[in-house]
Amino acid sequence: MKKKEIPIDIQNWHINKWGTEKLPIGGAVPFHSSYGYKTGNWSARKPFVDQEKCTGCLNCFYYCPDSAIEMQEIDGKYVAECDFNYCKGCGICVQHCPVNAIEWTKVRWHTK
Amino acid sequence: MINPIVKGMTGDEAVAWAAKQINPDVIAAYPITPQTIIVERFSDYVNDGLVDTSYIPVESEHSAMSACVGASATGARVFTATASAGLALMYEILYVASGMRLPIVLAVANRAFSAPINIHGECTDQMVCRDASWISLFGETAQEAYDETIMSFKIGENPEIMLPTMFGIEGFIVTHALERVDTLPDKAVKDFLGDKRVIPPCCTFNPFAVGTFGSLVLQDNYMELKRQQEEAMHKAYYVTKNVMAEFSEISGRNYEIIEKYKLEDAEYAFVSYGATAGNAKAVVDRLREKGEKVGTLKIRLYRPYPASDIYEALKGIKAVSVLDRSATFGSPATIAQGDLAAALYGKEDVPTLHGYINGLGGRVLLLPEIEQIYEQSKNYHEEGKALTQDWIGYRR
Repeated sequence: MKKKEIPIDIQNWHINKWGTEKLPIGGAVPFHSSYGYKTGNWSARKPFVDQEKCTGCLNCFYYCPDSAIEMQEIDGKYVAECDFNYCKGCGICVQHCPVNAIEWTKVRWHTK
Repeated sequence: MINPIVKGMTGDEAVAWAAKQINPDVIAAYPITPQTIIVERFSDYVNDGLVDTSYIPVESEHSAMSACVGASATGARVFTATASAGLALMYEILYVASGMRLPIVLAVANRAFSAPINIHGECTDQMVCRDASWISLFGETAQEAYDETIMSFKIGENPEIMLPTMFGIEGFIVTHALERVDTLPDKAVKDFLGDKRVIPPCCTFNPFAVGTFGSLVLQDNYMELKRQQEEAMHKAYYVTKNVMAEFSEISGRNYEIIEKYKLEDAEYAFVSYGATAGNAKAVVDRLREKGEKVGTLKIRLYRPYPASDIYEALKGIKAVSVLDRSATFGSPATIAQGDLAAALYGKEDVPTLHGYINGLGGRVLLLPEIEQIYEQSKNYHEEGKALTQDWIGYRR
């Protein structure tokens, strides 16, 4: 899975507090993929995958509405990992994990 | 100056003819009296293959303006026309058009609002849209209707402005009155406006440069975007001045954002907009013959409001009667008078202001009535009344 990089100032246009001079006129946002919008700080709870227990069944990968689950190869075995930049903390992956490998923890998480 | 081609046309036909010469990319309009002729004539031109325009026959004015918004977002040059209730139905989308900064041009055949239902001239419909961030012009004659159609495109499409423009001509009084119109040759119009709209980079919607338009913007950025509109509106004042000067050069007709008539040595003055200005000028001529020192001022550009120009023109005058062909109820001043009062407040040597609501629903404002207004405002001024609001031309 390859992320398309977008200019950093567009990525953080809402964080940088642009004013009348810099904001695009008419509020027209130049196109870029949703990778540019870091929505990870919306939630109060985050899923943490226990990579020992994970069997790599891909259930969470398919069920995640934000496509925040990424599969990673560790020691020749595919395991799930959550990208907290995009995870909104809905908990669907927790419900669907057949081996209860995902722990839903309360956490204060700030994306950068 | 380019030699004109003289034609006999009504106000609506003049607008349609100008639109034909401009050859916009898209027109989406719904017919409503007294704007109908514009749409009728233009659909003839489309049928006869005289224009390349895509004509979208929509089912309401709300859809007409929505279609215009969509078309304009792709970078097309878009024109539409409406009146009264149609403009009221468009009202929601007027803000979308100006908020998305789409230079749509809208011809308004000013007509009274229902109820009671009335199809005749009155400017209330355009006046209530004055806060919609649309550049707003008024025309007095079929000639001005023709010229303002062409100028409106040039003003709104300026990359610095990018605001929609509406111009009003009064229903039946201008729209259906047959007049001499000096038209420009097609080539002159094309040279004046350019073949296509100039599109600033991030503001198009096409397969090669896509973006998100009209997105959700909350407390964080909304106010900045609105402020951008205000700044564009401020620039529009200068741009309109330049465009009118440029147009005066090619047409040989002198256009300014305000029209001063015998104001130089005047002690009393009328201020009006649209067709009422013609009556006022006739009365000024009559009163001048009697030796009264009186002049008149016509506001051609209503938004952005040319406050400083108006102050310069009215400085030192004793009393001003505002002839306002638009209704407002329970207000301390008529609509045009309110703006005028705000423009003059706190300045030196300002006249007293007397507002007269007249001519509602196409009621004719007779010349003796304007003379009566003149006498009355003189009395008010002598009594020391700074601001009054009256209705004139109704039966008790």
